[in-house]
Amino acid sequence: MGSQRNPALADHLRAIAGRDYVLDRPEDLMLYEYDGGVRTSTPDAVVFPQNTEQVSRIVKFAAKEHIPVVPRGAGTGLSGGAIPVEGGILVAFSRMNRILEVDADNLRAVVQPGVVNQTLSDSVAHLGLYFAPDPSSQKACTIGGNVAENSGGPHTLMYGVTVNHVTGLEVVLPDGEIVHYGGKAAESAGYDLTGFFVGSEGTLGVVTAATVKLLRRPERIATLLGIFETVDDAAKTVSAITAAGITPAALEMLDGWTLQTIEAFCHAGYPLDAGAVLLIELDGLAELVEEQAEVTRQVCFDQRARDVRRAKDDNERALLWKGRKNAFGALGRVSSSFYTQDGVVPRTQIPAVLQFIDGISKKHGLRIGNIFHAGDGNLHPLILFDARVPGQLQNVEQAGREILQYCIDVGGSITGEHGVGVEKRDLMPLLFSNDDLDVMLSLRNAFNPDSVLNPAKIFPTSRTCVETRGPALNPVLVQEGM
Amino acid sequence: VSATGVSLDLARQLRAICGDEHVVETAAGQKASFTVSPTSSDDVASVVRLANQRGFTIAPVGIPRELVASYAQADVLLRTDCLTDVEHYDPADLTVGIGAGMTMARLNAMVGEHRLMLACDPPFPEYTTVGELLAAAQQGPLRHGYGAVRDFCIGIRFVTGDGRKAKGGGRVVKNVAGYDLMKLLIGSYGTLAVITSASFKLFPTPRQTRTFLAEFSTWQEALKFRDLVVHSPLSPMCLEIVSPTARRLMRPEMQDDAWVICLRGAGSDAVLARYRKELGSAVTREVDGANEAELWRALENFPGAGPDLWLSAAIDVPIGEGGKVLQILQGIEDGDGVNLIGRAAVGHLILALPNSPTASSYVEKIIESLVNANVRDCSVSVHGPGKLCRMTPTDSAGMRAVKRALDPNNVLRGREL
Repeated sequence: MGSQRNPALADHLRAIAGRDYVLDRPEDLMLYEYDGGVRTSTPDAVVFPQNTEQVSRIVKFAAKEHIPVVPRGAGTGLSGGAIPVEGGILVAFSRMNRILEVDADNLRAVVQPGVVNQTLSDSVAHLGLYFAPDPSSQKACTIGGNVAENSGGPHTLMYGVTVNHVTGLEVVLPDGEIVHYGGKAAESAGYDLTGFFVGSEGTLGVVTAATVKLLRRPERIATLLGIFETVDDAAKTVSAITAAGITPAALEMLDGWTLQTIEAFCHAGYPLDAGAVLLIELDGLAELVEEQAEVTRQVCFDQRARDVRRAKDDNERALLWKGRKNAFGALGRVSSSFYTQDGVVPRTQIPAVLQFIDGISKKHGLRIGNIFHAGDGNLHPLILFDARVPGQLQNVEQAGREILQYCIDVGGSITGEHGVGVEKRDLMPLLFSNDDLDVMLSLRNAFNPDSVLNPAKIFPTSRTCVETRGPALNPVLVQEGM
Repeated sequence: VSATGVSLDLARQLRAICGDEHVVETAAGQKASFTVSPTSSDDVASVVRLANQRGFTIAPVGIPRELVASYAQADVLLRTDCLTDVEHYDPADLTVGIGAGMTMARLNAMVGEHRLMLACDPPFPEYTTVGELLAAAQQGPLRHGYGAVRDFCIGIRFVTGDGRKAKGGGRVVKNVAGYDLMKLLIGSYGTLAVITSASFKLFPTPRQTRTFLAEFSTWQEALKFRDLVVHSPLSPMCLEIVSPTARRLMRPEMQDDAWVICLRGAGSDAVLARYRKELGSAVTREVDGANEAELWRALENFPGAGPDLWLSAAIDVPIGEGGKVLQILQGIEDGDGVNLIGRAAVGHLILALPNSPTASSYVEKIIESLVNANVRDCSVSVHGPGKLCRMTPTDSAGMRAVKRALDPNNVLRGREL
């Protein structure tokens, strides 16, 4: 898998995508062996198709030869979803990056999978529109990746995750057939295959175009920074805000250590001596936002906030968000490696889970920073470690597993927006019964019976080995060079 | 063995699973031989497994009504209205998990005590169950401001057509672990699985609402007003277009020929004053209090007189195609005027059809006209016996593959798709 060049495979792909659009030299392939997570695996070849027809031909060829196909957007995913665990062909969508249509009348855009999330919003800004899902990596991540992972982001508290914003898909199935699900209508009769495919992590088909909703930009935005002496006070404020009947557009929490680290990196204006802050955004009609901002301020003070600041203008607002969205980069300055968790708990459990994480940090002797989507209980504990120290990764993974087990015990989930990928596939039995996984697997097999598309993702290793035919590079292909 | 013998034997087996009082032999003349009302998801699974073993078919229903019973072409009606347990409910989490048999009215009464609501207002909430809401992807006027039930169903438990008890999602508002089985089952009309319970996001109930009515002599003017609202900063809870005929059906005392846009705003006095300012002189009347509640109840229940007199057809289109659809409907109506309401800024129109033998040919004519006019991404579904037509390009082979995966023996006959 990726350790040996296979010129015949590359030649075949070049015949489809063009001479300059296939990589197979080891030094090139190394660039595609990772994503934003901690696992690595090298593909046998990387191909850059230009259109759906080429994707179809690539997939058809791969299916015939039982070669794994792994779709990849920008490689910013955090669960190993784009890692070619079993080698094979990595289909990179950087050439399929066109916005095919902006239909302002219907508030829809049709985009190729390689379109960068932020680029779409920038492209329709002059119409007063934007694409709501806003992962922290939105300057780099692609719509195709968002669709595959059902990505979220801070503003999904009010606006929902990617699946709430996709109404149609063009998909290449494992046999190369090109099919269309849904369209521009908000709803459609028949099974909602569009919704079902979103978040399926490339295991059912390869998305080659998506029809997405565009929203109107709100008239007013108020961005508040609630500053607290303790993490506990900030955590309790989260439920208090929603109990006051307010659903903020975003409600983020950063603990004191993380604040200091971010501030040193990008000078966002965060207080260096706070125990935690809540970054709260309200948007909508001006009158409504002003009222909600006042109520929110009061709730924060009632929950012992030391101060509540409000961004004075767009620049100050952008700075506060810059700090939040560049947190991972900031942590990279103080630790050679970090492991990002994505557990979810009912929001009333936030104070308890943060205490538990503190205990895990002490138990394993690991520094854990907390920065997360507090409004919907989606935690992102960042566990710092040094991958060069033998055993540290295993220690970190064990700590992460204990945190996720706690999330499940209090009624939560192992992933809120990063996906299962390869990283959490073996945790799935903690959340799902054998029958649950059987049902999902039977659906996977209905579309991708030989697991040619993105193999070894989502389902626990034991299950995929025993119950489905795991794909492997065709030995004849390798030996005889086709 | 005689047919009667087979029937007696089946009755015995169903009673052994569900208990004597939960198995009823159906009156002569109905397709279904038995109606069963399991009280647990285990019993549901046992009934479905028995169906696979013995080769009988099942139609899952909530609380059976005449209309539902008539199109359920199955051997056994499986009622889920005994599955009413509250699985979890913490008002501070803004989530609830309940059995599929709980009615929408009861659910909203329960969460309403904490000023919360499930933001979905299907017709006749007194006897629409949560399972029915999901299986038929029902909606009401709140669809405009809050989204569809697919947007706030966060977990689902079910029994597949081959008898497996399974779940998707969970009880937290953000969750991407595993496939999104909620999306697959919502709107599947009981053809893939029997839904036994579900979890939902809840929303705070607005403290104050006001309805603004704007009247227009043509549908074109009404849609222009809709566009004005869509391009404004307003975020109404509901925005409905009502044809003159529909208005007369709901309010017989209203005899004028106006198309009406009903817009419901929520918020403080200052917010509602802003609505007034933005909407301008087009608004001819404001409604609040009991009158407002009555108006929206009539719109939720449209066509309202019950299945004996009316059927309804839902037409889903991209927002911008709504005008083309109205034009077509105007062209083929039979003289009484188009009898419809709809979520004008969502693209969901509801057409009332007299429950008569001509209804089917009327729908055929509509579908033919929509196809001929090349209305894009449109689907038509009749809520009742009859046609379901989809002009969106969704691949039907994919639907069949899903059906085979979850119900390989074609046991579940909620509705032909």
